[in-house]
Amino acid sequence: MNCSQVYELISEAVDHRLSGDVMREFEAHLSKCGKCLSEFKAEEMIKSVLQYRLPRAVIPSEVYNAVVGALAREQQSQQRSWFASLLGSPILNPAVAFVLVITLAVGVYSLFSTSSPKLPNDKNIISQSIKNYAAVIAGNIKPKIMSHDAGDVENYFKKDVSFDVSVAPTNGCDWCGGALSEFHGVKFAHIVYKFGGEHNVLYVYQTDLEEAMKGEKIGLPAKAKDALKKTGWYFEEKPGKYNLVMWKQKHTLCTAVSTMGRQKMIAFLTGTGE
Amino acid sequence: MALTSNTKKIHKEFEAEALPHMDILYNYAMRMTGNPDDAHDLLQETYLKAYRFWDKYEKGTNIRAWLFRIMKNTYINLYRKTVKEPDTVDYDEIKNFYNTIKDESADPNDLQEKLFGQLLDDEVAKALESLPEDFRTVVILCDIEGLTYEEIAEFVECPVGTVRSRLHRGRKLLQGKLFEYAKSRGFIGKD
Ligand SMILES: [Zn+2]
Repeated sequence: MNCSQVYELISEAVDHRLSGDVMREFEAHLSKCGKCLSEFKAEEMIKSVLQYRLPRAVIPSEVYNAVVGALAREQQSQQRSWFASLLGSPILNPAVAFVLVITLAVGVYSLFSTSSPKLPNDKNIISQSIKNYAAVIAGNIKPKIMSHDAGDVENYFKKDVSFDVSVAPTNGCDWCGGALSEFHGVKFAHIVYKFGGEHNVLYVYQTDLEEAMKGEKIGLPAKAKDALKKTGWYFEEKPGKYNLVMWKQKHTLCTAVSTMGRQKMIAFLTGTGE
Repeated sequence: MALTSNTKKIHKEFEAEALPHMDILYNYAMRMTGNPDDAHDLLQETYLKAYRFWDKYEKGTNIRAWLFRIMKNTYINLYRKTVKEPDTVDYDEIKNFYNTIKDESADPNDLQEKLFGQLLDDEVAKALESLPEDFRTVVILCDIEGLTYEEIAEFVECPVGTVRSRLHRGRKLLQGKLFEYAKSRGFIGKD
């Protein structure tokens, strides 16, 4: 072994990683080369200074307990509403609260229930979207991913759904979140955008356009179907309660629900907003 | 796939898997931030983040490495200070010094005592904190935490060869730093 070969092995020698043969050659070199010997001794010494002068910091029990407590609070707030927990304050504005009360009355908790196929509301994408919107506000739909970057959320869906999911650029919104679900074998991508200010939630529901048009497992009311076929868009508005915008995007059917104005929704979703 | 998840069950599972590794993470947090308050914040933030992203953890993979990476990213976001490469150190000076005293003391522990014995633990910690992050991380994991090169490679997601070279360079930088401290405190003569 020459000096540069030995130099390469110094750290592994210090950490006792060299095999017997290599170590013997290494030591043989050190015994006749003062330069390499002092390099080796110096590194060995630094390691031992660290080991003896900086022992492992032991976690104080109050720190351990504080972390466990923080996790428990996180769990509680997730149960209450992942939404409110993130904002640190209740966000229900009167209009949203009203939608929530109405939809609770018609049964939010039937969300994605697989009950009797005779219940058309189950299959109706429009009524599901409105229910889901209320469930988002109530914290019953919890995003599996949250990000400031629309690309992260888009990627989250990519491997699991057959249709293209598009997530609008988050310009002007604080963050977006996504979750997946399945109903009668049809996949749904749920996307939530959180804004500051009064009309602060935009919920989008995306699914397979072909399945929606076929109307077997999921379906659309005739008026929505017609409008989509003719113009590619469908709108529904309950003044003071919600605005619903539905549109086709290649093989994907998208439905957005919010209390914000229609023009503002479209501007945001098409990336022509602020 | 049910959308509303059973948060209680998930919570239990997270606690069982992640809490046993709080020790190693706290130690790393201490050595990275250099003070107990910041270490506490960093640890707590790491665990909350891990909890929120729990479904992104692939079951059966190295959870310590996963938690460690979350901590490292959190640290970078919260505390990244621009640590400059330490000023160039005259290693020849160190070597000369070493050579002059090595004959007097054959026992390496004795030598270490002579060189750094009077340095305070805080000064050793400060020297470590002054290292650029990549070097500091491998030195902490190897020399204080006692992980193998292979484990460190998994933690920091780089080849074993890179771990080895960072470790070597990190120890060398530290050596210069400690020598500087010792000299400035007058433990080591100027000539
Ligand atoms: Zn040599």
